[in-house]
Amino acid sequence: MTASRLLPARKAGARNEALAGYLFILVPMIMFLVLNIGMVLYALYMSVWKWSVLKGPISFIGARNYQNILSDEKFWVAVRNTLYYTAIWVPLTMAVGLFLAVIVNQKIRGQTFFRGAFYFPAIASSAAITVLWIFLVSPSGVFNEIRGALGLNPLFQLLGYGPNQDWMGDYHTALNSVIILNAWTTSGTFMLFYLASLQSISHEVYEAAAIDGASAWQTFWKVTFPLLRPGHFFVATVGVIGGLQLFDQAFIGGGPNGEPNNALLTIVLYLYNALFIQINFSYAASMGIVLFVIIFGATLIQRQLFGRTPAW
Amino acid sequence: MVSSQTDAMGPAGPVAVAASASPVGERGGRWRRRVAYVILIGYALLMFLPFAWTLITSFKTLPDSTQLTIIPQPFTLEPWRFVFANLTPPIPVMFGNSLLIAGVVTVTNLALGSLAGYAFARLRFPGREVLFLVVLATLMIPDQLRLPPVYVLFSSLGLTKGVAAYIPVIVISAISASSIFLLRQYFLTIPRDIEEAARIDGAGFFTTFWRVMLPLATPALSAVTILQFQGTWNSFFWPVVFLSADPSHWTLPLGLTLFRQSGGFGSNWPPLMATVVIATLPILLLYLFFQRYFVEGIAASGVKG
Repeated sequence: MTASRLLPARKAGARNEALAGYLFILVPMIMFLVLNIGMVLYALYMSVWKWSVLKGPISFIGARNYQNILSDEKFWVAVRNTLYYTAIWVPLTMAVGLFLAVIVNQKIRGQTFFRGAFYFPAIASSAAITVLWIFLVSPSGVFNEIRGALGLNPLFQLLGYGPNQDWMGDYHTALNSVIILNAWTTSGTFMLFYLASLQSISHEVYEAAAIDGASAWQTFWKVTFPLLRPGHFFVATVGVIGGLQLFDQAFIGGGPNGEPNNALLTIVLYLYNALFIQINFSYAASMGIVLFVIIFGATLIQRQLFGRTPAW
Repeated sequence: MVSSQTDAMGPAGPVAVAASASPVGERGGRWRRRVAYVILIGYALLMFLPFAWTLITSFKTLPDSTQLTIIPQPFTLEPWRFVFANLTPPIPVMFGNSLLIAGVVTVTNLALGSLAGYAFARLRFPGREVLFLVVLATLMIPDQLRLPPVYVLFSSLGLTKGVAAYIPVIVISAISASSIFLLRQYFLTIPRDIEEAARIDGAGFFTTFWRVMLPLATPALSAVTILQFQGTWNSFFWPVVFLSADPSHWTLPLGLTLFRQSGGFGSNWPPLMATVVIATLPILLLYLFFQRYFVEGIAASGVKG
């Protein structure tokens, strides 16, 4: 370093700078190359071999794992559950998040407090929040107690639910319970994304709408909503990627088999199951590749749906 | 992602939330605001009450825990005594495991992330943009895709048994692309003159980074610290893969899940709720003191953990 200061040798300086740059990023780059990119290639490799836990690859089986996945009924149960979850949870949470963002974005007192409050459930761990939720919606839990106290039980009876419905333990309601749980914990996060997007809309647009005599309702649907397009794209993409990877709440609620009766069996949970319960390493690896293709495909579809490429 | 990042994390701090209420006459505005407050307060209660209920339940007896009593009848410390006396592994062990993993991962993310973030923001070297894209591309790779090969890799190295089982969990989270990204974006906002002055004074690249740039990046370092600590403290996926086999390695989220599933609590809710409180308390305190880092960090990076 001293040499480059005394002599303004620009070439040496540039070389030193480049050297420092490579040195500064060395450890992370090695880790990313080995643990991310390397592992993707390794997963591809694993997926075309018959794999022994002790010996590793035994014999080449080509695409047989992938064929087996396609004819595996349990895998399709997992796909159906995962898609159902994503298809309901993402729009629901987006709607709530947008609604909260628009209200919080107004001239109101306590803005910071409300932003903080709505994000609050997202700070807890999936384990803590899911266990808490299981307690709230258990047969004698507070949810059933409150609806009883409010005299709502006849209504629930019409829908086919008794006064002591076990929401997380019943095949018909377990996945919907997880949807509500995750909508509750994530609505604040989506609100924060939408707030960032709302703030990028210029004031003049609203002034123009006001001059035209547009009502608040019209302004929202005709001005705000379409202008939030990049925000919609970002939230939907993040949401779908997260939704397709549902694991924690399914495992915590239903264990490694997605109890009751596969109601909580998601793609990732089935992958975990193939790895640690069935101990079929290469089958699990091929399932990871299939999941990646599904996620990638979903992202591409959304990109088409929302048109323009976003800034990132 | 990139665009929202720069303005929310700039040294100017939070961008004031722009008011966008359109003028709709005084009376209409007042009514709308009242409705807005009712909704806001109602939804805020929906956020807090389940946690309050958890806390209340942890001081109840079992029969009382299924009743709608707001003040425990009778008030009892028995669930807390139960939790500290009857769990194996004991609560302090699980707490210690969570703390160890979250602490180490936070430190490695700060160290590796700030060096790399600074290099990507300021140092010129061939291939910088491509390498940065490689970093961002890792965000696209789902953890589950990596799970089978990562497990095979670490078990072939003998790092899944005994105390060594902590290593894969730490290594896999030791540096995240989002830490590098957040710090890089912040370094980009610091004026160049400052470091040029340091360089003219003869400081080397590392000295400039360490003595001049790092102290200026305190807000971004704090954000990474808090988000990373919270994310790792709460993490479930890699711990359940590598640490669930041996109970003495359990973190609090693992303990909560596996105890409940193995019937360790029976349907004895109050001690289970006491454990939920213990698992959440450190993050709750962080949130109370550093709320803006959570809120701005999430809005800015859009990347969790």
